[in-house]
Amino acid sequence: MVKFKRDHYGYIFIAPFIIAFLIFGLYPVYNTFYLSFTDTTLLGGDANFVGLTNFTRLFADNVFMKAVKNTWIIWILNFIPQIGIAMLLAVWFTSLRLRLKGVGVWRALFFLPNLLMPAAIAALFFSLFSFYGPVNQFLVRAGILPEAMQFLQNQTIARGLVIFIQWWMWFGATIILLMAGMTAIPTALYESAMIDGANERQMLWRITIPLLKPILIFVFVTSLVGGMQIFDIPYLLTDGRGSPAGSIMTNNILMYLKFSSSKGHIGAASAVGVLVFIMTCICAFGIFYFLREKK
Amino acid sequence: MLTHYKLNTIVLRGLVYLLLFILLVITIVPIWLLLVNATRSTTEIQQGVGFLPSSHLVENYGILQGKGLNLWRGFLNSLFVAVASTVLTVYFGLMTAYGIVVYNFKGKYLFSNFIIILVLIPMQLSIVGFYQYMSVLGLTDNFASLILPTIAAAGSVFFGKQYLESVIIKDLIDAGRVDGASEFSIFHRIMMPIAIPGAVTMGIFAFIASWNNFFNAFILISSIEKYTLPMLVQTLRGDVYRTEYGAIYLGLAVTIVPIIIIYLIFSRYIVSGIAMGSVKE
Repeated sequence: MVKFKRDHYGYIFIAPFIIAFLIFGLYPVYNTFYLSFTDTTLLGGDANFVGLTNFTRLFADNVFMKAVKNTWIIWILNFIPQIGIAMLLAVWFTSLRLRLKGVGVWRALFFLPNLLMPAAIAALFFSLFSFYGPVNQFLVRAGILPEAMQFLQNQTIARGLVIFIQWWMWFGATIILLMAGMTAIPTALYESAMIDGANERQMLWRITIPLLKPILIFVFVTSLVGGMQIFDIPYLLTDGRGSPAGSIMTNNILMYLKFSSSKGHIGAASAVGVLVFIMTCICAFGIFYFLREKK
Repeated sequence: MLTHYKLNTIVLRGLVYLLLFILLVITIVPIWLLLVNATRSTTEIQQGVGFLPSSHLVENYGILQGKGLNLWRGFLNSLFVAVASTVLTVYFGLMTAYGIVVYNFKGKYLFSNFIIILVLIPMQLSIVGFYQYMSVLGLTDNFASLILPTIAAAGSVFFGKQYLESVIIKDLIDAGRVDGASEFSIFHRIMMPIAIPGAVTMGIFAFIASWNNFFNAFILISSIEKYTLPMLVQTLRGDVYRTEYGAIYLGLAVTIVPIIIIYLIFSRYIVSGIAMGSVKE
């Protein structure tokens, strides 16, 4: 009886979290869904229930589809080299054959960009790649470019730069995660594989990668969820409207533009949030479902 | 005599070091240029790329102030929001995690799975509903709207739970109970000191996340005197500063130098914290 009562303290300990979650987490989600069915603006006035109008408008509008497409392109093209290079480096760093020196230091340095403010990083790359910026200075002096060029007015370069910055900020974090997973794999597995005459490539594909699956799923899902919400870098790299020619317009930039439009169409902005929310959740849980350990 | 295998290993090792060095240059050069250019004058920056610091730091700060950019106030605003968020995240994160780890209550596993789902859900996408709701409550343009939600930081609870499971000693809790300590004083007096390394790690991540948060502040805060540093970075992109390169770099440097210092001191905690937040599902 006494023990039963004591375990009820669990509810008291988790109560502040639940209360704060209901107020600041769940209700805003509900409110966003609710607003997406209305024509509410920031100017106030009468808000009407408009059914699916906001959604049908978004689907009829090329900008929304373009933003979704851009967001996926930016995420996929950054994720592939990110996981690839991180895997390669993690394998080298843990390799008993190579015995690299200063693994901790290399790893710590590669991780540094991940901690820096994305807004500042975007502004930094804007400066570096501006017309009078260091990159132009360097390329012209080295004779690689005949004259300075407007990097950020070129669609491919602007998008490539967003992808590069994302890669630059995240490959170090992925190395750390993969290495944490690799050191958890029992070395006996590799030893017995070696006795059986397995080569390094076979050990990587037959032992390391299958046993890393939980970590790979984690990296995959968290990267996807973050990638679908990318904002700071593309927003601050150019004019905040996805220029040039909407090539770096992402989901969240579009949501912000609807929100900050002269009338403040928060109904329409909510609809963007809701659609991206649903799309991201379906993909995230889909990855979980298809890649989970099958018993 | 070198065997074929050994020779291969040496060549491979050399190639690996070369590639690591190239990656290191790519990683560090942009950051180094940012820091160095903060100390160079606009004329020097226009004259060419340089990797050595110069002597125009104070001058650049003067230019920023002259244009009405109050870097110091932005710094203090960011610091206030980040410290308050960190305290709430760590305290309530540990409290929630402690509740899950120590007590066996009905719904415990449901709740702890729910936390994992919350970590993976893109909550930021509900920012519009959050904004509208805060404006009804009169909390827009108020730091409270940035700070209070951190009481329910799912990522910290997840981390806290992993950490407590590895350090909590049930005997100590029982000993405290025999001595007549209340459940809350056991949490405060016995568990907290044990959990300090975990709390530090949680705190560093909470601080950095808050310090770097642009999107939420950008949507919720409107008056200039409440701008946090990332919002000032955004104003630095404006026309007023177009030709003041040195000053722009200084403005950016102020946002990242504190983080670099924290990293220099706590890199071990940070690197192991990254790993711990994910391993063991």
